Amino acid sequence: MSKTNKSMDKTEFYQRLAEILDIEDIKPENVLKEYDQWDSLAILSVLAMADSKYGVTIRADEIRQVVTAADLAALVEAKRK
Amino acid sequence: MKSIFKNRKISSIVSIVPKEEYRFDDEYPIFKLTPDKAKRFKKMMSLDRHRIAAPDVCSSDLCQYGLQHLLNEGTLKKEEIGALIFVSQTPDYIIPPTSNVIQGKLSLGREMICLDINQGCSGFLLGLIQAFLLLEIAALPKVVLLNGDTCSKQIDKCNRISYPLTGDAGSVTVIERCETENPIYADVKNDGSRHKAIMIPAGGYRTPSTPETLKLREVEEGVIQSQQHFHMDGAAIFSFTMEDVPPQIDEILAFSGDTRESIEHFLFHQPNPFILKQMADKMRIPPEKLPNNVVSLYGNCSSVTIPLNIALNYREPLLQGSRRVCLSGFGVGLSWISMVMNLGPLDVCKIVEYEST
Repeated sequence: MSKTNKSMDKTEFYQRLAEILDIEDIKPENVLKEYDQWDSLAILSVLAMADSKYGVTIRADEIRQVVTAADLAALVEAKRK
Repeated sequence: MKSIFKNRKISSIVSIVPKEEYRFDDEYPIFKLTPDKAKRFKKMMSLDRHRIAAPDVCSSDLCQYGLQHLLNEGTLKKEEIGALIFVSQTPDYIIPPTSNVIQGKLSLGREMICLDINQGCSGFLLGLIQAFLLLEIAALPKVVLLNGDTCSKQIDKCNRISYPLTGDAGSVTVIERCETENPIYADVKNDGSRHKAIMIPAGGYRTPSTPETLKLREVEEGVIQSQQHFHMDGAAIFSFTMEDVPPQIDEILAFSGDTRESIEHFLFHQPNPFILKQMADKMRIPPEKLPNNVVSLYGNCSSVTIPLNIALNYREPLLQGSRRVCLSGFGVGLSWISMVMNLGPLDVCKIVEYEST
């Protein structure tokens, strides 16, 4: 929950994202919209995960600009600082 | 905005639900969900069942039924009612106010105030504030607060996200003066700059109803809606509930001199179990102090979730004694209101099922 100065464990982040999408794994360059499971409920789950695991609140307009898994990871990481 | 109300108490709560109960397991094929997706959604939202009013039943019918029930039982007399407040987003008509319609149908006295309020999620608390204020001027000793919504009529039945989460219900709350000081602490906040986050965009006077506004569109897979249906920006509402509501709870507890320990029950609006659990975790409120079962059993019934929550989970203890509670309603507006009070002992606290007469 708390913010730390340690850089974010990306592998762990992608694993959490894959779990939300109900898939084995996800690569940084993968486009989120291309997944059938990437719907408003998945977005809600991502917001919840960012809040509870990384202590950051992502806004609605910010998540709409995200294209790839790497974009999402970068957004969460930038907000932690 | 902080206020303290004194010499006021809630004396009865009756919640009214339609008889018709529908289970998600039976309904999901109409949402065109694959069994796999349905299972994921059911788990995420703890979906089980909800109550949906028959097509010809309005929120006022549910409220009137509950009020008649109280009058029949004799715990409330017509001659005691100094004001009738009806909080709803599903009124009978645009003109006249539904509170007047109900007053007429029940042949209540003329020496009283009738007031309609358009509010949803925070509507129980906004209604309570009005009731506390109206007791100051009402000629008669009790104020009746009616909360009612049949939001299922504002959602397409094939909308796979909103429809399974919604429910129809009404409640009747009696508020009266009391001799003890019984301070009730309230904090009210509004942010109308975010009013579009929850809205029905067309059908009012800004965008009147036309064949175009009634046209159904699939805005994302399985989410079918017209401009005259309920719209919600889920992501915006999520950040609102995570960023704005928890600090208000800290503020109200500081204002009333309470702590998470001194409050026995956190009786919050129930948007859906997912968001509520997330909020409770963030606020470090133990789950046993924050009931989160209303949507799974009845659906999100707008401003009725708090009184329904009370009648569902605390009937016995509140009939017998008093509990230190923190109430919070948040959503449409955006509006968020929280209160701390001693609730109970209540004269009546129950759920009744609506039967058409």
